Amino acid sequence: MQTLAFIAFLLGIVSYTASATLFFADVARQSGASAIGGFGPKAFAVGTFAHATHLVLASFVTHTCPVESLPFALGLSALMTNIAYLLMRERAGITAMGVVVAPLALMFLLGEQFVGHGAPPGQSPSLLLALHVTTNVLGAGLFILAGVASAFYLIQEHRLKNKRRALSGRKLPPLDALDATQHRLLVIGFPLQTFGVVSGSFFLSTMATVGVSEFLSSALAFATWSITGGVLVTRATLGWRGRRAAVGSLLGVACVLLVLALYVFRAGAGA
Amino acid sequence: MIVVLGLSHRTAPIEVREHAAMPGELLGEVLAELVAQPNVGEALIVSTCNRVEIVAAGRDSSVEVLPLVLDELEAVLLKRAPMVRNYLYRHAGNDAVVHLFRVASSLDSLVLGEPQILGQVKTGFEQAKQNGTVGSHLNRVVAHALRTAKRVRNETAIGQGQVSVPSVAIDLARQIFGELKGRRVALIGSGQMGESVAKLLGQAGAELVVLGRNSERVAALAIQMNAVPRDLASQLKQTLSEVDVVVTATSASGYVVDEDAVAQVRKQRKGRSLFFIDLAVPRDVDPRIGDIDNTFLYNVDDLSQIVAETLSSREVEGERAEAIVRDEASNHERALSAEQVTPTLVALRKQFSGVLVAELQKSLRTRLKHLADDDREALNVMLDSALNKAFHPLTRRLRTLASSERAQADSDLHLSVLAALFELDVHAQSRASLSPAALKSSNQPSLPEAAPLDPVASNDPNDSKKKVS
Repeated sequence: MQTLAFIAFLLGIVSYTASATLFFADVARQSGASAIGGFGPKAFAVGTFAHATHLVLASFVTHTCPVESLPFALGLSALMTNIAYLLMRERAGITAMGVVVAPLALMFLLGEQFVGHGAPPGQSPSLLLALHVTTNVLGAGLFILAGVASAFYLIQEHRLKNKRRALSGRKLPPLDALDATQHRLLVIGFPLQTFGVVSGSFFLSTMATVGVSEFLSSALAFATWSITGGVLVTRATLGWRGRRAAVGSLLGVACVLLVLALYVFRAGAGA
Repeated sequence: MIVVLGLSHRTAPIEVREHAAMPGELLGEVLAELVAQPNVGEALIVSTCNRVEIVAAGRDSSVEVLPLVLDELEAVLLKRAPMVRNYLYRHAGNDAVVHLFRVASSLDSLVLGEPQILGQVKTGFEQAKQNGTVGSHLNRVVAHALRTAKRVRNETAIGQGQVSVPSVAIDLARQIFGELKGRRVALIGSGQMGESVAKLLGQAGAELVVLGRNSERVAALAIQMNAVPRDLASQLKQTLSEVDVVVTATSASGYVVDEDAVAQVRKQRKGRSLFFIDLAVPRDVDPRIGDIDNTFLYNVDDLSQIVAETLSSREVEGERAEAIVRDEASNHERALSAEQVTPTLVALRKQFSGVLVAELQKSLRTRLKHLADDDREALNVMLDSALNKAFHPLTRRLRTLASSERAQADSDLHLSVLAALFELDVHAQSRASLSPAALKSSNQPSLPEAAPLDPVASNDPNDSKKKVS
């Protein structure tokens, strides 16, 4: 099983690298439609499958309870991002976002190898803890993709506003598609994040002592939730979409990434 | 070897070009007249609004005949349009190949990289094929020209970007909204450019609204463009709150759409993107509108600047395309050189075959007369096979020499020695291959299948083995 997990890991690395290269070549290519463009998403789908297989097998090999394992949390976040991208890309016309999503997935896959494995074997988490971790990582995955869409929006918007080489971004997704994608992902991710924040607060209240890292991660999670909620509410009431929503969404995603970085740092310090 | 005779936007003004233009119904007649000339073996005509060119090959594949072919083409053309005499250009041999490849690749077009010329060359070729004036030479060179043009399109960005103001505007709208189907577009004013942009948007599936001060003119324009008419003074704000794209092209001296008008409808719009295309001079749209969130404003200068950038980047790509054309023309020349050994080999094989068949017939009439029909047939096949095997190394060696630039002189020497030693009539052979009958038989149904006349193609000993077995 260890060998299989290793093969899946290698296949994941190769597929993600290939897809990132193909996406980049397609976006950088100035001439019209290219044959290589179609292979990027396929390689990315293979990479996602290998990544998921690796995650499951590695969990069995190390006898690690998935929801208490940081690599699992990182991996599941990345997989959520990947799956959301693969499901939405054709319909929303956001295929070019693969140029960021694929390297991000590769980074997560590699990053999983350098962080600790969490709880020792034999300890089973409570149902609430399992739900807390799962909703948080799923929400994080969706928010990361929303952040990528927002970053693309700001690049496209800047290009179109400045009118310099406005047509050179023809391969990037249209502004409205990026705005709609970001909004949809936030709408889906927000309830998950809400549950994560509420259940997190419950766990925090049951702890005898709250460390700095727990406090920081809770504060950042709450900041993410507030910012995302703010983006959704102002969009619905004041019509704040486009640039403002993209900036807000990026701020929220920055908080999510900081939470993940904090977990990685804490795992590294504990190892 | 081919020649090109013609005139284009580079050499002749439109008043001259229109005299030389060849409408479709005249083409058959002119092509027939061309191939009726003593030295013209094959011909096709590319006639567009920017050029009229005759591409032709001689009846004889020698280089010496090319000036005569050009003279005959010129005579035919001048008979129809005498005023074009001083505007014609002539290309022969490899120059003609390079020219044809450049034309097909849109490197000689008025707008560098425009895609229509490739289709026009194909049309000219198909028309000539239908009229039976295309043979092995033109088949091969045009097929290669089309391949070259495709390579240029694939490997360079020469066809990238838009080169007209309306098409740039549509491209920008697509970058903002993606699919334009169902989007709402307002046209303010009735300038020609504005109408062109609105029409293109309409063709892309957008719903049109026409606004103006003169209700009769607005109504007429709305009918013409299948749009909804509205009054500019009373319905501007309502329109601004609903539409996605506003195209303005009025002759008003002040701003028709000011910042306040857009600011007032922001709440109703709920942050939806709004794209202004201001084609008027003086400008119709307050430039401060471009600073409002989710509002994009391009005036005629911005659009013209993008057109200029596209053209300038096409110039850079043009240099890469020229290198591809040179490369392909050189490949074509090498392939042609390899083909030049064919008449000599065919003549030599014919001579050997004649001797062997005559001797075999003599034996079959005397000592071998007891042989049955099957055995006689087997002997024929065996002789054919032996001849193929004997010729195979010679064919391979001569073709290799002929296709190599360095050994070209050696190849010519070998061919002339063979011709002299065996008293071969090579020119008769090449004339036979370009006879009207041969031309008809070499006309293939479509380009990829178009095979050259290659009577020694069966010299591969493996083929012979198959026959004998």
